[in-house]
Amino acid sequence: MTSHNLKPQPVGLVIEHLIKSFGGNVRAIDDVSLTIEPGEMVSLLGPSGCGKTTTLNCIAGLEHPDSGVIRAGDFVMTDTTSKLNLRPEQRGLGMVFQSYALWPHMTVNDNIAFSLRLRQTPAPEIKRRVADILELVGLGQFGSRYPFQLSGGQQQRVALARAVITEPRLLLLDEPLSNLDAKVREQARVWLRGIQQRIGITTVYVTHDQAEALAMSDKIAVMSHGQLVQYAAPTEVYENPATRFVAEFIGATSFLPGTLLGRTGDWARVYVSELGELRVRADRGPQNALRDWVSNARVTVAIRSERVEVVRDGAPHENTFDVRVSQSAYEGSRWLHIVEMKIGTLRLETLDAASDSHLRIHLPADSLFLVPEHD
Amino acid sequence: MAVIPRPNSTGDSLRRVSRVGDQLVQWGIAIVVVGLVLFPTWPIVYQSFLSQPLYESGQALTLSNYPRVLTNPAIWRVIGNTVILMVGSTLLGSVVGIVFAVLLTRTDVPGRRMFAWLITIPYYVSALILAFTWSAMYGPQGFITVWVRNLGLPVWDLYSLGGMIVVSALYFMPFTYLYCSSSLHLADPQLENAARIGGARPLRTLLTITIPLIRPAMMYSFILTLVSGIELLSIPLVLGAQSRIDVLSTYLYRTAVISGTTDYGTLAVVAILVVGFVTVLVWLQNYFIQQERRFVSVGGKVARAQLLSLGRFRWPAAIGLGLFVLLVILIPLAGIVLRAFTSFLSPLVNPFTLLTLDNFSQAFEFQTYRLAIVNSLIVATVGGLAATIFMALCALLAYRSAFPFRAVVKYLALYPRAFPGTVIGLGFLWALLSFPAVGWLRNTLWILVIAYTMRYLPLGFSAISPSILQISDELDRAARVGGASWRDTIRHILFPLLRPVLISTYILLFVTFLKEYSVALFLFARGSQVIGTTMIEVWAQGETGAVAALAVVQMIIIGVVMGLSRLVPKVKLRE
Repeated sequence: MTSHNLKPQPVGLVIEHLIKSFGGNVRAIDDVSLTIEPGEMVSLLGPSGCGKTTTLNCIAGLEHPDSGVIRAGDFVMTDTTSKLNLRPEQRGLGMVFQSYALWPHMTVNDNIAFSLRLRQTPAPEIKRRVADILELVGLGQFGSRYPFQLSGGQQQRVALARAVITEPRLLLLDEPLSNLDAKVREQARVWLRGIQQRIGITTVYVTHDQAEALAMSDKIAVMSHGQLVQYAAPTEVYENPATRFVAEFIGATSFLPGTLLGRTGDWARVYVSELGELRVRADRGPQNALRDWVSNARVTVAIRSERVEVVRDGAPHENTFDVRVSQSAYEGSRWLHIVEMKIGTLRLETLDAASDSHLRIHLPADSLFLVPEHD
Repeated sequence: MAVIPRPNSTGDSLRRVSRVGDQLVQWGIAIVVVGLVLFPTWPIVYQSFLSQPLYESGQALTLSNYPRVLTNPAIWRVIGNTVILMVGSTLLGSVVGIVFAVLLTRTDVPGRRMFAWLITIPYYVSALILAFTWSAMYGPQGFITVWVRNLGLPVWDLYSLGGMIVVSALYFMPFTYLYCSSSLHLADPQLENAARIGGARPLRTLLTITIPLIRPAMMYSFILTLVSGIELLSIPLVLGAQSRIDVLSTYLYRTAVISGTTDYGTLAVVAILVVGFVTVLVWLQNYFIQQERRFVSVGGKVARAQLLSLGRFRWPAAIGLGLFVLLVILIPLAGIVLRAFTSFLSPLVNPFTLLTLDNFSQAFEFQTYRLAIVNSLIVATVGGLAATIFMALCALLAYRSAFPFRAVVKYLALYPRAFPGTVIGLGFLWALLSFPAVGWLRNTLWILVIAYTMRYLPLGFSAISPSILQISDELDRAARVGGASWRDTIRHILFPLLRPVLISTYILLFVTFLKEYSVALFLFARGSQVIGTTMIEVWAQGETGAVAALAVVQMIIIGVVMGLSRLVPKVKLRE
């Protein structure tokens, strides 16, 4: 069996109170703490400027944090209290860059062998390991090509091979799929996750694409304005967003402002003008939405577009309303409808074109949750 | 599947020395840059406040040098000459350069490509050789002058401020031409097309759209030329020798080197005046570079600009251009080549009866001449290579390192732009006098290489840095994460990627070092002479044949190197 089947024991990643500011008072990373279990793949997800790439660069040693601790297992890479900050080359990590950063003057083989040569690995071993890794990423025949002779998808595979050839402590991925075509990207997603699980390497994956994060990660760390706003498994992040920001950023969510009528156990009743009375789950969603449980408190009800149901029969049900669709868009696999109301916009999806602009919709109580007006 | 414990975790198997090594290299480069800039500048500043020459004992600090110099009418005459020469040659050179740029890039004048090549010749021939060629052809005893005088026609006086202005303008013209024509190439033709569609006729488009578009390039080259006008030593030195017309550069040279004055205070103050003057101009130049960035829209353009049709003026324009090129470039050039191959050159004798190779056999057999050629070649090849590598390291330290003082390195590397060759020569001369520990450098080629490197540090630095900035920094980050130190990254990633620009910078520095003479005039001694200093010396003795032969040798070397440089394959940096 080839060497990559001899899995080294993976180590986890611990980040404690990481702070990094650029000039002035703007904190690119504002006290982020994060623990990644050995072998896990964690996505840092957020809009541009949220600090995810800066965090990744701090892990890599490419940026110097103002304070905080970063360690891989017992191997401390950054500890500002003891002025320890290993340089990138001392950390023994692997990284795939957004542009792949393949060195254009070197062949695929030379690109991959570079780190091994620096480590003074004997030539026959380099040859064997490079061949093995090329086989693993499915590019066995491409070793003597130059990067510009490869497609984007192939370059991305070489970049991954180069990053993992040294059996690094951690694998860092900086939006590695963002330069691929939509079609290739979806295949690459599955492929990349497969490789990661096969090698069993602890992986930090930076992306602004929620679909990628949901599909590929063991856990998602959602970041906003330099802060970690939620760190949980993909289903948890989707079903039970910790803040209004998370609910807005992940998935297509409609927000309907209303007035709290009362609460019984896990359920609350909310009045939304233009619709009527709604029964809503009160045990899900951002905790701060539930802080003030006085009647007549202003609350916002959130619902995912795909959870809105269209009701065919005319019988009255709980949470069922008549609405008028103001706009529809065909998206191939489904139709997207927009219901414009004075209080806000409600989005919903159907598989077929709506025969009529008047629809009867059902907002399942189980899919509704409360969020605060602002985070 | 076997699970093995991580064998001696990866980070530990890396060489541990790298931290110290990187810092040592980075500090080393920075210290050399600081030393290189301070070594020649400090003595001049210090001397300007000293009552006695800085190597003498019993000196006292004084402020009297400044008022003494500034109230000296002789100095003011020199400053006046400098300003006249500088402004006159800049205006003339700029106008001619801009007219050529517009004619050759925006009109249908016949022979555009040939003219575009011909009029850049003065750029490749050194100003010194240009001065010799003009002197040989149009000087008071020059071939053409004598011929015209024999026809009974009135003649001109080349050995005057006017003559200097014309020859200097000719030398500056290609700079303006190159800047403006490349700016015209970059200007978006759609802007012109928009004016045409809006109803403007071609000439109106040219005057109201095209020319204003290249205004930043015009201003930039204008100031570049003004700076060169202050620095220029050779043309006023050669043309002003008999008529004793001094400008600041020749004043510094003649006073410091020829007359052997002990009034170092005056020299220092004049040098500082010059530097102050140039500093202001360099500051303006930077301002216009930024302007240009705002103006010119660079991008891949499919549309070709429509050429302005000259109609029935096409051929008259071409003939005018041809006459100009013939009179001011080709005849002087042919003259010096002919002079090199004849024992004597006069309109009264058929030169082809005087053909000889004596001048060249002299150039190669006379120890003085041969050594000058060999020294020039050593300085250009070895010194140019060392300077290229050093300048590349400076640029990498400034743009591709975490060195805490990288901004200082960048500033210092560009600072020598404010120092004319004469001031740098004077500074190194005084530095050698005041630091006896390095006095042994005086008679070696080393001091020439060091001084040239200091003078052209901004040139090399700015030639290399754009290419560094073009290389995505993810490429070096990838190497660092992969275990490479800063030095490894430079050696294995950045230097190989920069190879095309390193080669072209080497060629640029080779040619520049080969032509350089103004710094060397202050520093050379018997045995360390170079082609430029020897030509000036021999010319002063009236040996024009030997000067012509040396000039031809230098032009041939430059021509061969430029020709070879076209063979260097251009390596694509990206994709």
